[in-house]
Amino acid sequence: MALSEHDVRAIAEYARIGLDDEELHEMTAYMNDAVAMLKPIVDFDPEGVEPTFHPIGDLSDVMRDDAEKPGLSLESALENAHATEGRLFRVPCILGGGGLS
Amino acid sequence: MRKLAEVLRDWEAVIGLEVHTELTTLETKMFCGCKLSHESEPNANVCPVCLGLPGALPVPNKEAIRSIVKAGLATGCAIQKRSMFYRKHYFYPDMAKNFQTTQGPVAFCMHGHLKLEVRGQGAAELPEDAPNDRFASTPTVAMNAHGGTGSLAFDEAAGKGELIRTEDGYEVPIRILRIHMEEDAAKMTHIGGAEGRIGGAAESLIDYNRCGTPLIELVTEPDLRTPEEARLFMEKLRRIFLAIGISDCSLESGSMRCDGNVSLRRRGATTLGTKTELKNLNSFKSLHDGLEYEICRQAEVLESGGTIAQETRHFEPARRRTVVMRVKETADDYRLFPDPDLAPFDLSDDFIEGCRAELPELPDAKRDRFVAELGVKRADAEALAGEPALAAFFEEAAGSAKKGAASVANVLLNVVLGQWNAEGESAASSSVTPAQVAGLADLVAEDAITSAQAREVASAMAKTGESPETIVDARGMRQVSDDDSLVPIVESVIARCADQARQYRDGNQKVIGFLVGQCMRESKGTGNPKRFNELLREKLDAAAF
Repeated sequence: MALSEHDVRAIAEYARIGLDDEELHEMTAYMNDAVAMLKPIVDFDPEGVEPTFHPIGDLSDVMRDDAEKPGLSLESALENAHATEGRLFRVPCILGGGGLS
Repeated sequence: MRKLAEVLRDWEAVIGLEVHTELTTLETKMFCGCKLSHESEPNANVCPVCLGLPGALPVPNKEAIRSIVKAGLATGCAIQKRSMFYRKHYFYPDMAKNFQTTQGPVAFCMHGHLKLEVRGQGAAELPEDAPNDRFASTPTVAMNAHGGTGSLAFDEAAGKGELIRTEDGYEVPIRILRIHMEEDAAKMTHIGGAEGRIGGAAESLIDYNRCGTPLIELVTEPDLRTPEEARLFMEKLRRIFLAIGISDCSLESGSMRCDGNVSLRRRGATTLGTKTELKNLNSFKSLHDGLEYEICRQAEVLESGGTIAQETRHFEPARRRTVVMRVKETADDYRLFPDPDLAPFDLSDDFIEGCRAELPELPDAKRDRFVAELGVKRADAEALAGEPALAAFFEEAAGSAKKGAASVANVLLNVVLGQWNAEGESAASSSVTPAQVAGLADLVAEDAITSAQAREVASAMAKTGESPETIVDARGMRQVSDDDSLVPIVESVIARCADQARQYRDGNQKVIGFLVGQCMRESKGTGNPKRFNELLREKLDAAAF
């Protein structure tokens, strides 16, 4: 099933990527090419194949001890920030968004 | 708006809670070795993992997993051996990697329950003719077959949600759908707008210290029916989490946070109404009052022919009202999928049993033991058992008291605790020793000092570290209870206060208080007021005939 421009616009909105009409057109074609590459997998009959629940299924219970490790210095942490204020990251006001419900 | 009691005669409120608890007793974050601290300078505890830098690989904190397993075991949940971490995507700078790591359909802990004991005035919020089988009308979201281990299986009554009426209230089981493991987001400060709220803010400042803090989220089934039940559930949960030592559980500082989902339906109806979600319920009182207000508001809207919008509302305690934060028009699409960077879990029996072995005596069991074995009043026992440090302090004091544990409980809760609260102290921090409190309780129990004097002694022993006996003797406070000393005072007061004595004989019982006061004055505060009262009545009654 091919992706429509409507689908791609919705995906772009989720990813917070702005696309103009021309870019949307190009991206739709590009994504349909990518999806077409998955055809052999989609066509494959999984009957009798053990399901894979997780890409690292051989490992389990990977955990670490609750011990402190040095992190980044403040300078390193803020180094690539677009803007800072004192010890804090500074970002433009966020409208229409909101964190987790 | 109508009052809650009236509203709940016509409508049934269906309430569910979501409770987030930070695992504050751990040293490090959920997926990296950064220090957990509320006190550090901004962005002092950050690394590539919690800043979401490319290529950083998260590794779960073993103690955090042990903590959630303990939380599940202590709330009757089935521990799921097999579960995974998922990515929950959203775009907001409080989580720099653009997703929160959380759990999917299977959480570490599934399907538990807590039994609520609703007593006294709070029990009256539920109409007397409320149905006794509340699970029947709110089928569980997912009560299907589930694997797992360690479930303290529902007893028969709990299985049906059966409400049992007791002498002064009722008991009812409340189901827990799940407890899952996740991480907290960064702290944001909005500047340039009014009151730090996001509306109108020009910029936001971000401190990532909190980002990645281990958080457990408990979700109840919609089994609660009154604000009082919601409050009691939260209190009980807090006591349990404190006892198992996974968090400091401070509603004030936000290490324990509660959202309430509430909808109304006509009494007897079995379909659910549209719910609203309440935020900012950051005290037990706010939890109760916020739900109370919201129930009454919804009733007013529905009764005037309106409809309830599915929205998130913010409780304003000062104005006792809720205001809309945001309207949910469509379901959020978080594109949840298993995190490929985190290996799935297959917890061993040893791991789970190791957690179980570390569970301490839980608050209900402790309370019942204090009542049954130590003869403490139930309300006192509940207050003591709910705070682990206080309970330990009490037990040590009770062990060395000669006049019984009930007096120790009384003195600790009514004299010493008040003093600690006023001074910002606690059982854990105070210099007062259990032996001192035991000595003080003995003095009160044997009527050597009055309750008022006990306060003075408690204050002195906190300052000087001396034993209460030493303080009482040094200050000449020892209460005089022997009749040889008291009778002459009583006789002198009756002779002196002839008017009041006559009033008493004429039937004015209240005047006895004045006469006791005169006796106390004459004894310079050392006489036993209880004995004075008895002696005064004896003398006056005898003279009346």
